[in-house]
Amino acid sequence: MSTGWLVGSVVIAVIVAPLIGGLLRGIDRKLTAHMQGRIGPPIIQNFYDLIKLFGKKPMVAGKPQLVFAWGYLFLIITAVVFFALRQDLLVVLFILGFAGVCLVLGALSVKSPYSQLGGHRELLQMLAYEPILLLAVIPIALKTGGFPITNIFEYGQPLLPNLWLTFIALVIVLDIVMKKSPFDISSSEHAHQEIVRGVLTEYSGPYLAIIELAHWYELVLLLAILGLFWIVGSLWWLSILTPLAIWFILLITDNICTRLTWSWMVKFAWGVGISLIALNILVVNLGWM
Amino acid sequence: MVAILLALAIGFPILTGVICLGIKNHKARAGVVSLTTLVLIVTSILFLRQGSFPYSPPPTWDWVILVLDYVILAYFLFVAIRDFIQRGMSRHNVLAIILTLASGIPLAVFEFSKAGYLPLEAEPTLYIDHLSIVMCLIISIIGSLICVYAIRYMKDHEEHLHVEKTNQPRFFFFMLIFLGAMNGLVFSNNLLWLAFFWEMTTLCCYALIRHDETPIAITNAFRALWMCLIGGVGFTLAIIFAWNSPLHTLSLMTIIESGAVACPVLLLPLALLCLAGFTKSAQVPIQGWLLGAMVAPTPVSALLHSSTMVNAGVYLLLRIAPGFQGTNLSTFVAVYGGTVFLVTSILAISQSEGKRVLAYSTIGNLGLIILCAGINTPLAIACGIMLIIFHAISKGLLFLCAGAIESHIWSRNIEDMEGLAARLPILAGITIAGMLSMLVAPFGVLITKWGAMEAASGIGVWSTLVVILLMAGSGATTVFWTKWAGRLLCHSPLPGPRKPEPIIPLYHGVLILLIACAVVFSILITPIYNGVVAPALAEAGYGVAFTTGHWFLKSPIGIFAAWPIFVVVALALIIPSLRIRTKPEESQAAYMCGENVEMGADEFVAVADERTPLKTGGFYVETALGEKNLNRFVIPIGIVFLIVLFAISVFPLP
Repeated sequence: MSTGWLVGSVVIAVIVAPLIGGLLRGIDRKLTAHMQGRIGPPIIQNFYDLIKLFGKKPMVAGKPQLVFAWGYLFLIITAVVFFALRQDLLVVLFILGFAGVCLVLGALSVKSPYSQLGGHRELLQMLAYEPILLLAVIPIALKTGGFPITNIFEYGQPLLPNLWLTFIALVIVLDIVMKKSPFDISSSEHAHQEIVRGVLTEYSGPYLAIIELAHWYELVLLLAILGLFWIVGSLWWLSILTPLAIWFILLITDNICTRLTWSWMVKFAWGVGISLIALNILVVNLGWM
Repeated sequence: MVAILLALAIGFPILTGVICLGIKNHKARAGVVSLTTLVLIVTSILFLRQGSFPYSPPPTWDWVILVLDYVILAYFLFVAIRDFIQRGMSRHNVLAIILTLASGIPLAVFEFSKAGYLPLEAEPTLYIDHLSIVMCLIISIIGSLICVYAIRYMKDHEEHLHVEKTNQPRFFFFMLIFLGAMNGLVFSNNLLWLAFFWEMTTLCCYALIRHDETPIAITNAFRALWMCLIGGVGFTLAIIFAWNSPLHTLSLMTIIESGAVACPVLLLPLALLCLAGFTKSAQVPIQGWLLGAMVAPTPVSALLHSSTMVNAGVYLLLRIAPGFQGTNLSTFVAVYGGTVFLVTSILAISQSEGKRVLAYSTIGNLGLIILCAGINTPLAIACGIMLIIFHAISKGLLFLCAGAIESHIWSRNIEDMEGLAARLPILAGITIAGMLSMLVAPFGVLITKWGAMEAASGIGVWSTLVVILLMAGSGATTVFWTKWAGRLLCHSPLPGPRKPEPIIPLYHGVLILLIACAVVFSILITPIYNGVVAPALAEAGYGVAFTTGHWFLKSPIGIFAAWPIFVVVALALIIPSLRIRTKPEESQAAYMCGENVEMGADEFVAVADERTPLKTGGFYVETALGEKNLNRFVIPIGIVFLIVLFAISVFPLP
């Protein structure tokens, strides 16, 4: 692959990813509104919100808060860039993990009951999804002969037919990372619930905008990882449609489910997620798939 | 030249340790300790320039070692019996007596009647290669920095405890001979020499744990003694079995070069050496001694956890790993290490005492190194060696941070450290950076974890299990580190200027040096790999683990370029935290449903307009993941593992 191509894909990833992310969040709000019998905001409302938030006067409860907000955003962008450069998938996930640590530290740095509660719960969410996210890389690597994303492109066939068990596990991860019901444990969409807005409670104005922007990148990155399962072959367009379909299903679950407890989440994620991937690795090892 | 180097690395700290014993003056003792550390650091760097070489001292030294070994065992017997008489019978002193006899009597019977002649030699007696040079650098540099820090710490410690007559001569005696013994241990090739230095580290560990002479310190010292003596028994039996094998040798190199595949009889001595390594590295189910060792002054914990003692165990495993390559023992070691990593990482979540969190994290990381030894591929061994280096730096740093914090707040409880970032910004900042260096990319510990994960992703049922243990444990480490760092950061906006942090040169200097090492060495990971790790792999007969170029590590199955992440971390985290000043009008109090009393008051208006203090705390999940709950499973699992270890080494399956 030529250098020009790589630079191009990095630029596109950094610029286009938030646009897609913001749009998806807009569609999310519209669809949710329709499901609840409301008209809902325009699809590009989230862009308006972001611009407005950036224009507000900065207010923080302490310096660590803003340091970690910037850290969160920049590390997620780094993960996106590493992904666009087709680097080692495990490294991409490690950078994403560091970003998650920044979000939690930002929340825990304020002596606020809601922010503390949210931060600690976010840690439990990470405990639930991180092992699965990291483990999901193993069957991919076993199939394609290595951990760099380049290998997936050079593999020549789509991964999903062999690795659909891993794919399902990743869908669980996506739901926990998106903090959608039943996994909206560390922060809620609306501020009128018992945890206020959890990890996000103490963020306002431009710093809330930074976090929101980072969320858009994160959403697109995770959907792109799901897309890797179809990326090669004649059906490559499925690598765009499948993640979107999954995302739509998660929206529906969000609207029909209620929040569950963290202990249920950890048990469910570890029990189901790890078993699915372990099964998948065994099946791949035995040569059945 | 080489003889002088060896004398300086092993003999000099022992000599100055003895000198310390006679010095009453604090300043003079500080001078002797500083001189020793300087000599050790220079010597270790000279070893690096020298490269690998064999060395056999005159046979008189074999006699000296022979005699001293029994002297140490006799001392163990003496203190255990004295304790039995003074404090009555306890599980710990009885086991110490039994295990001392169990390791001493068979050894005596073997040496004086069965072997036929004395002293038993092995050619060469000492062998210095790159693995031992790496260990020597860690012991000499990090161990020395800890000793320098201890000069100030022990002064504070004794003032705080109102000690009438100072015990520092004895303290520094054991600290310094500990370093000498460790250097001797990593250079020994003759199993008898290795066993002698092994017992000597046990002795230092025992003496340093009971330093404060409180009842709990004495109890925990005896626990450490008998648990480590299990390893001593393992060593004695390994020596006897190795001598009685067809190889008829006490040379570790000969045993490893032959290997258990070519000579299945060697499986049992190798398994016994593994057992010795597990006990020294405080692996489940014998983790208790390292947790109990926390009663000792903090520099002792730092020394035990980073550069000495526990490192001896993982060093031995990495050393003998080529010997059990391709056997079931290797698979066992990998699964065992992974299990220990997972359970201790989960146990660490429920700990509210800082030093116990660090201790569980140490045991977990040692488990990870053992896992690497078990996977036994070039990539895994390279990561195991690098993990010893990076873990030593970060863990040494964190213990010293815990000690420095303790000298301010006189507590080890994480909840008492709430908001320390506001009161002691430099110390808290270094501590948080140290925690991040254990936890996140691009620091060295995580780079080695990455390598271990990729190395573990092989074909087969067992590697699937190992990789699951590794990933799940990794998730748990995120929880306890981040939670602790969060407690340090948690504070309300401060009205008005804050008091400047008191700078204590010996504390802050050592801490800054160590955190700088953690960062610089992580950036320089490719030269470190090429300079010491690759030669060590080649000497042990392994292939190439990484190719390096443009400051990235590339294995056949993966690639890690750490420096771009460092650039991002510098831009996104370090520069804002140093440069940005928040204006007073930009800071606001935390949201408390609009019932705040005033800025920075940490209070809210509750029922009947009463001012109620705001309290926050960390999650410890004690009912679900507490020691009480989990140890019911963890200890039996560990015991089952040890039974399996013997089953597979006595009845090796094809």
